[in-house]
Amino acid sequence: MAQRDRTLTPPFSHPRWRAWPGRAVALLLAGVVAAGFSGLLAEWQWRAVSDLWQSAYLRQVIWFSVYQATLSTGLSLLLAIPVARALHRHPMFAGRGLLLRLTELSLVLPTIVAAFALVAVYGRSGWLNTALDGVGLPFRWNLYGLQGILLAHVFFNAPLAARILLQGLERIPANQWRIAAQLGLTSGPLWRTLEWPALRRVLPGLAVFIFILCFTSFAIVMTLGGGPSATTIEVAIYQSLRYEFDFSRAALLAMVQLLICGSLWLVASRHGTNRNLVPGANDQPGTLRRDARRRDRVLLYLFLVFLALPLLAVVFRGLPGLLGEAGDSQVWWSLGRSLSVALVAAILSCSCGLAILAASQLARHSGHHLSARLLESSGHLTLLVPALVLGTGLFILLRPQLGQPHQGLALVAGINALMALPFVLQVLRGPFATLPPNSLRVADQLNLRGSYRLRWLLLPLLRRPLLLAAAYAAGLSLGDFSVIALFGSPSAPTLPLLLFQQLSAYRIEAASGTAFVMLALLFVVFYILNRWGDRRRRHPASRRLAAGEHAHA
Amino acid sequence: MLEFENLRFRYPETERVLTFNGEVGAGQCLAVTGPSGCGKSTLLNLVAGFLNAESGTLRWQEQDLQPLPPWERPVTSVFQEGNLFDHLSVQDNLGLGIHPGLKLSRADNAAVAAMLDKVGLHGMARRHPTELSGGQRQRVAVARALLRGTPLLLLDEPFTGLDPDTRQILRQLIRDQREQGAVIVLVSHDASDVESLADRHLVLTA
Repeated sequence: MAQRDRTLTPPFSHPRWRAWPGRAVALLLAGVVAAGFSGLLAEWQWRAVSDLWQSAYLRQVIWFSVYQATLSTGLSLLLAIPVARALHRHPMFAGRGLLLRLTELSLVLPTIVAAFALVAVYGRSGWLNTALDGVGLPFRWNLYGLQGILLAHVFFNAPLAARILLQGLERIPANQWRIAAQLGLTSGPLWRTLEWPALRRVLPGLAVFIFILCFTSFAIVMTLGGGPSATTIEVAIYQSLRYEFDFSRAALLAMVQLLICGSLWLVASRHGTNRNLVPGANDQPGTLRRDARRRDRVLLYLFLVFLALPLLAVVFRGLPGLLGEAGDSQVWWSLGRSLSVALVAAILSCSCGLAILAASQLARHSGHHLSARLLESSGHLTLLVPALVLGTGLFILLRPQLGQPHQGLALVAGINALMALPFVLQVLRGPFATLPPNSLRVADQLNLRGSYRLRWLLLPLLRRPLLLAAAYAAGLSLGDFSVIALFGSPSAPTLPLLLFQQLSAYRIEAASGTAFVMLALLFVVFYILNRWGDRRRRHPASRRLAAGEHAHA
Repeated sequence: MLEFENLRFRYPETERVLTFNGEVGAGQCLAVTGPSGCGKSTLLNLVAGFLNAESGTLRWQEQDLQPLPPWERPVTSVFQEGNLFDHLSVQDNLGLGIHPGLKLSRADNAAVAAMLDKVGLHGMARRHPTELSGGQRQRVAVARALLRGTPLLLLDEPFTGLDPDTRQILRQLIRDQREQGAVIVLVSHDASDVESLADRHLVLTA
């Protein structure tokens, strides 16, 4: 009988290999954030602080940032709550699957593509105004300005909010719904007794999350803002850096943004932030309630149209544009750059996420709970420090050193990876923490440690969540506009930068083609990574024995 | 010989303390019985190194087992379920019992094939555990335990829910191991398992 050697030491099986990569990533994150800050602080001038109350422009920018973010959050939630309730009440709704897929897209749809899509539907010569013209109505909808920003923010955040609120409703035990049905509770009492208590737990964290996303919104405000009266802090930082070369003002604005976002996050985390920011984590079917009403269906169909129309516009307008621009090598070079940056960002982000989780798990098992919390928190630093703020600091720090475009792209991939890390951690944390205990015990007993454990246990078991996390990271990177706007070279753009350049130059047909390419690329990346995640794995050892079996037979 | 004396374990959540005493010699099977929650599985986990005792002694052939991690202990566990890695084939699940990196020689592969024949699973090497019945999965788990060849087998209700034929096959495999000198600790709620396999009996109280 084959006897195993219990003294065999698998490669990388020393505990330090579990601890140090994650610690190194955490230190790197802290270092990058600190470097960003030191870059800002180097340009900091105390006398610039007085601009905050002396400059009418700065006061307007800060006021508008808060105002539009508050309105966007309120409107998104006002739409998301009835949609979530309706989705929950109608588990058999015909377009439910499609609607849920579309709500997932909202997290990764490049903002610049969404802005372009909204222009195609709601812009001056968009579908809406054409339809209004067609029926002879004198009313014309003007997309640019506050209304455009709000529409785009609702388009992005209402689906995400609806999905998260739906998960909140799905956590209500089925028996409570059954009892409510037996008691004959109508909509009002049902809301008070079951739905509101469930949603109330989710809403504060969700509201803060959406507020921060809207507050730090960049591409939407850049494309739909419509002038100085509709400028946010992020856009003002960009303008200070790129056009006015006023680093002191950029530093001041970045600090203000950080102060507001950081304080909000602190308040939200004290009240318990929502742990399920990524859609699809809880996909159980709806309840057994059957008091379906026509109003709900109408609402759901309208919401479906609201989400699908802009995407259809990208496809319809983009195809002719793509055919017209197919010979333009710039699109394909940009696609290559975007894809390279996204792939590097996805791999980096997933590796960093795994390293942080492994290190924090080891710390927790060793009883060092504070270290474990600190390690995991490091991965969320980039939520507190928005991309443009981080980029600003690094831009100031690295400005003299960055010469070649590829250096800028490498930095973009790195920052994109860090930006995606909170989402990657969100996807991986659950599956990582709930690996089957008996499998782990058997693995320990079989000496399945180090690289062998990674190869034969962790990677196969975490395959699906890892690929989903990679898809999210790649999607976020593919759509990144804020970091590439700082570090990218106008002569070597990625797809979002190219789209922005084309829109700025009113090359609408070319922009349509580029937007279509971005949307198609996103779908392809999601499709491939999802398919790969589902594929059943066959190992070489199985094939070896299969050959042996035939010989035996 | 496996000996445990005043082996104390404290549950971290409840602060409840259990103390175990017992011994079992080569070629013997110790059946551990008792009501649910009395600590039967905890005893096996302490011996396997999945849990750490607060105090007391745990010796195998006079050697203190407690400082050793699970992979260095001369122990193989078979649980009621979850013994196999569902993402790996039967062949790979068995191969891991020989080398943790699945670096198998021709002789190792032959040993795996022979073991599959022995447990009545000829031709199933390419299948995945999800394609097997519960009884077939337990046979693979026992086959891997036999391949590992450790002198101490810990069986945590391994026959629960199995059909009578599979139960009989597995009991015979365990008896064969015992006759070859292995030490077996069996946790079971089934009196017939205890009667057919055990030489000694340890009754735990709640």
